[in-house]
Amino acid sequence: MEARPVRIAVDIGGTFTDLQILDARHGRMVAWKTPTTPADPSEGLMTGVREAAERFGFALPDVGMLLHGTTIATNAVLERKLARGVLLTTAGFEDVLEITRHFRRDVYGLAPDPPPCLIARDMRLGVVERLRANGSVETPLGDVSAVIARLKGLQPEAIAIGLLHAYANPAHELALRDAVLAALPDVPVSLSSEISPEIREYERLSTTVLNALLMPVVQRYLARLEARLGEGGFTPRIFLVQSNGGMCNLQRAAEQPARLLLSGPSGGALAAERLSRRLARPNLVAVDMGGTSFDVSVVQDHRIGLVTQGEVDRLPVRLPMVEMRTIGAGGGSIAAVDAAGRLTAGPRSAGARPGPVCYGRGGRLPTVTDANAVLGRFDPNFFLGGAMALELDAARAAMAEHVGTPLGLPVEEAAGGVMRVTNVNLASAVRLSLFEKGLDPRDFALLSFGGAGGLHATEVADELGITEVIFPREPGTLSAYGILFSDLVQDLARSRLLPAEPGALPEIEAALATMRAEAEVLLDGDGVPEDMRAIEVSADLRYHGQAFELLVPWPQAPDLATLLTRFHAEHRARFSYAAEDEKVEIVTLRMAAIGRLPKPAEAALPLPANRTAPGTRKVWQRGGATAWPVWRREALHGEDVIEGPAIVEEAFATHVISAGWRAGLDTEGAVIARKLP
Amino acid sequence: MTVPAPLGPIEIEVIRNALNAAAAEMDVTVWRTSRSTIVRELLDYSTAVFDTDGWNLAQSARIPSHLNSMSHALRELLANYVPSGDWGEGDVVITNDPYCGGQHLPDILAFKAVFHDGHRIAFVGTLCHHIDVGGLVAGSYAAKATEIFQEGLRIPPLKIIAGGVRNDAVWAMIRQNIRKPDLLLGDLSSQLASLDVGAAAILRLAHRFGAEAMLEAGSRILAMSEAGMRAAISRMPDGTYAFEDFLDDDGIALGQPIRLHVAVTIRGDEASVDLSGCSPQAQGPTNATLASSNAAVMFALMCCADPSLHMSAGCYRPITVIAPEGLVVNARHPAPVAHRVAVSHRLLNAMMGALHQAVPQIIPAAYYGNSYVTTFQTVAETREVLVEIEIGGSGGHPRKDGVNAYASGMHNNSNIPIEMIEAQLPLTVLCYGLRDGSGGEGRFRGGLGLIREWRINSPRCFFTSNMDRFDHAPYGLAGGGPAAKGTLVLRRDGVESPIPPKTDNLPLQAGDVVRLETSGGGGFGPVSERTPEARTRDAAMGYL
Repeated sequence: MEARPVRIAVDIGGTFTDLQILDARHGRMVAWKTPTTPADPSEGLMTGVREAAERFGFALPDVGMLLHGTTIATNAVLERKLARGVLLTTAGFEDVLEITRHFRRDVYGLAPDPPPCLIARDMRLGVVERLRANGSVETPLGDVSAVIARLKGLQPEAIAIGLLHAYANPAHELALRDAVLAALPDVPVSLSSEISPEIREYERLSTTVLNALLMPVVQRYLARLEARLGEGGFTPRIFLVQSNGGMCNLQRAAEQPARLLLSGPSGGALAAERLSRRLARPNLVAVDMGGTSFDVSVVQDHRIGLVTQGEVDRLPVRLPMVEMRTIGAGGGSIAAVDAAGRLTAGPRSAGARPGPVCYGRGGRLPTVTDANAVLGRFDPNFFLGGAMALELDAARAAMAEHVGTPLGLPVEEAAGGVMRVTNVNLASAVRLSLFEKGLDPRDFALLSFGGAGGLHATEVADELGITEVIFPREPGTLSAYGILFSDLVQDLARSRLLPAEPGALPEIEAALATMRAEAEVLLDGDGVPEDMRAIEVSADLRYHGQAFELLVPWPQAPDLATLLTRFHAEHRARFSYAAEDEKVEIVTLRMAAIGRLPKPAEAALPLPANRTAPGTRKVWQRGGATAWPVWRREALHGEDVIEGPAIVEEAFATHVISAGWRAGLDTEGAVIARKLP
Repeated sequence: MTVPAPLGPIEIEVIRNALNAAAAEMDVTVWRTSRSTIVRELLDYSTAVFDTDGWNLAQSARIPSHLNSMSHALRELLANYVPSGDWGEGDVVITNDPYCGGQHLPDILAFKAVFHDGHRIAFVGTLCHHIDVGGLVAGSYAAKATEIFQEGLRIPPLKIIAGGVRNDAVWAMIRQNIRKPDLLLGDLSSQLASLDVGAAAILRLAHRFGAEAMLEAGSRILAMSEAGMRAAISRMPDGTYAFEDFLDDDGIALGQPIRLHVAVTIRGDEASVDLSGCSPQAQGPTNATLASSNAAVMFALMCCADPSLHMSAGCYRPITVIAPEGLVVNARHPAPVAHRVAVSHRLLNAMMGALHQAVPQIIPAAYYGNSYVTTFQTVAETREVLVEIEIGGSGGHPRKDGVNAYASGMHNNSNIPIEMIEAQLPLTVLCYGLRDGSGGEGRFRGGLGLIREWRINSPRCFFTSNMDRFDHAPYGLAGGGPAAKGTLVLRRDGVESPIPPKTDNLPLQAGDVVRLETSGGGGFGPVSERTPEARTRDAAMGYL
């Protein structure tokens, strides 16, 4: 597919733009980090690429592929920097978007805010038409000229069209789009039957509306990005990371930006999946802890799980995405003592700005990072590789004022308390992620990454009874590493409530054939050669009467018997029973069109020839300060044995090996810690 | 290894979080292993951890009518049915009897004592709403029941598991008396499994901190909640605040309103709530037992505390409830109680009206105050059943408008997607929208109620409903107007006729349309003070 040797993965976060660069000529892989430029993230991206080229000695024209993870869509939603949109929907159902699904989250709240609704009532127009669940027409789409006239009067920047049962028959939506485009040829239009062709009107509408309002925003960004192509001969093929962990091309991203909405954490999950194979650990629980959040994903039998729906800012997004549990606990989580004398850490966060007190950027409230600083776990002169001097005194003062004094504790004990409370919360999130699938933490190794993960990992593992913790190399840019080895994946879906019985086979086979043809067209569009293509079929199934479905892979489609066997087995694994006598329904058929990208071999990591003795630093732990060995990660030798308590330090991360743990370097460059029996 | 760590504020917080996590693990276990849709999809269950006296330390629940009722039930069991000394290791006690601490028969409570080194250190418990426990009608919600004996199987407090061995005789006895034995016993098994998960989590903690420390932490957690609750009550001025609101009727004595009268007395950091002014118990199933009424009173007061308040039984300590037996809020055996949620909705409305006089700056006007339950049983080649619970608007608040179509008060549930209904049953939903003008007027408008219309496509269909607020509108506060009352109408051949809101098995035919309009929330403050901007927006949105 691509002859030029250099492939770059870039993951643009709130603070840093992370790059991983793989040069196929010698298999060398290197990481780089540069500050994010929020106004136009493509600027920081280009800066990073140029810096990396200079430092690692490749030429810009050698870059054949740029794989791009971005939070631009997510941020646009969170900050409501969205287009002004109109929704066209079936008359009588204009309020479905505002009514939502009812369930409230704040059970005790007396002053609720309305659930977010991105298009207000005066911008939602009803269209007279009606389809039935089987796609047949109950009320034909009539003359729409009056609606179109009102639409024009509203001067929309984007238009969402979502009609009832359009997943079963897109004819009315297509006809309506023709009428809209005839009147407003330059306004982007999103159809629910194209964006999320799945049953359940509110979730489909929500996804379609998000897509519509994002189109102008994402298209502007992509245009800026494309405009930078050519600078210095930099003309790679660009692909974007979607929420499902796969890549898509620029055109798909421009037309279906909702697919980018939860792409942020999927790079980390992809990395976990790849490392699970390279380290021969089939079961991993991956924890990515950064400044504001703690993301947990589970690798089981070398595979990460997908779910069919997620949400951003309480708005449902009905598209396949990597399964992940996120809690608002990160290095920036603020520690406080409330009126009842309770010590809390988070969910309030100091974020990237102002950040922790010790960063000296104006933060005044002590955070989890400040607790680590107070305990002596950081080298104040080697933070971020020496790029940032830590203000330890300010961190101590804030910790004393806001935690120590209210609790009547010395500042170090207060900081130790913040750590313990944080670790219990992190462990609870991990335990629940495994528990809800019927899995036992003791069967898993913990994969720790993100800037803050290593500070908590062995203590969290202790809470969980996990006896092995893996600290992969380059933990601060691991998401980019995951992206570097991912594939092109385009998801197709078709909803139709059908009994999983032989009588439904003709309809199932017809649907699969149509989807397969669509899949091939998509793969053709990306120029994927035959031998690099794969098509994976799955189905959402349930027992008759259930209101939710299980996603079941269906490699033998359309063989119903194998599907049912898998469904019953999956149901038993997840919900402890199977009802083999009960009727099973197919709700949605899914297909993933996969274009495999070549996976250049990673060269073995060069290790230092000689062993270097660790330094020491005074670190405080319950009761007093002791001198802990401090190892520099890049100086680690294969024969080094790290006895906890100890610290392993690298430019963008610090790892704590707790007492009772012993760690060493693995051949893959990962530091692996094991609990001593 | 037992680390006899001194219990500082940090250990307390670590244990508190771990107890919450234990309740959450029990919750996930029920969710993961239960059989029936009502448990897993309506999330109609709760899990909790209690101290050795039955005070709950942590709980996981989403439905206010469950919250704060389990501790009442366990303490009732300990006081009157299974005394403390009778609980052995591996014993599990269950009951669903409203007259032994429960709420209504579909809710089965299960409790297990947790032992460490031979000493009892905690209880764990789960409450599940089961799909059917027998009685007059499927689902065990008989609108016309006049005695609890018609409402289903009553399980007195008994050891379903004694010393780790299940009592198969009781198991068989339950199986024989209910409509969906596999579902109920499946769900009951998952309740029992979750107790084991909770007990294991408690033992992990005891192992780490020691049993003494656990007990100490429990009492400190209760004290912390109590202090938070006392602080909230202290912020209310001393005095007695009375308020009353009405249920339309009990479905038997039609048009005979049922009074929910509360007198809340605040003195220092304590509150006493006198329910003596409520109507006598009803003939029909619109009655509540004390577990249910207590939960509504506690919920109202706990809503007034800081959001950071740790919700535990310590919150109940500064609150006294006075409720003479024989009233609608404390029914005497054998009154039917299936629709106890109607009583709790209205009791909560009345509580909020009283608290408005004490803390007018935080209490909103009345929400719609009722669960709009509709059941369609369609009869074509197959019989299909649809049960829906709809909602209305929340009340205008002293600082902002109420929210349109917002699940409020004592219940908390989801609606059912129209496309799913139409894919599964011979029904067509003709419209689903906000009901213009249904919110009470005011400086801050009440949220709007809803309109939903169903058309019957099958040759026959039986319609059942249980609703209220058709005669007594949700009130406004501080000069705000009341919300619109509900309406329920049958449209047949172009002719409309009202359907009684409490209806059992009304026969319908193909082409019939049922139209429900739900109440909004009451308004807050005089409408004359509504800002021009808000009026302009109302007009633009068509909310009036």
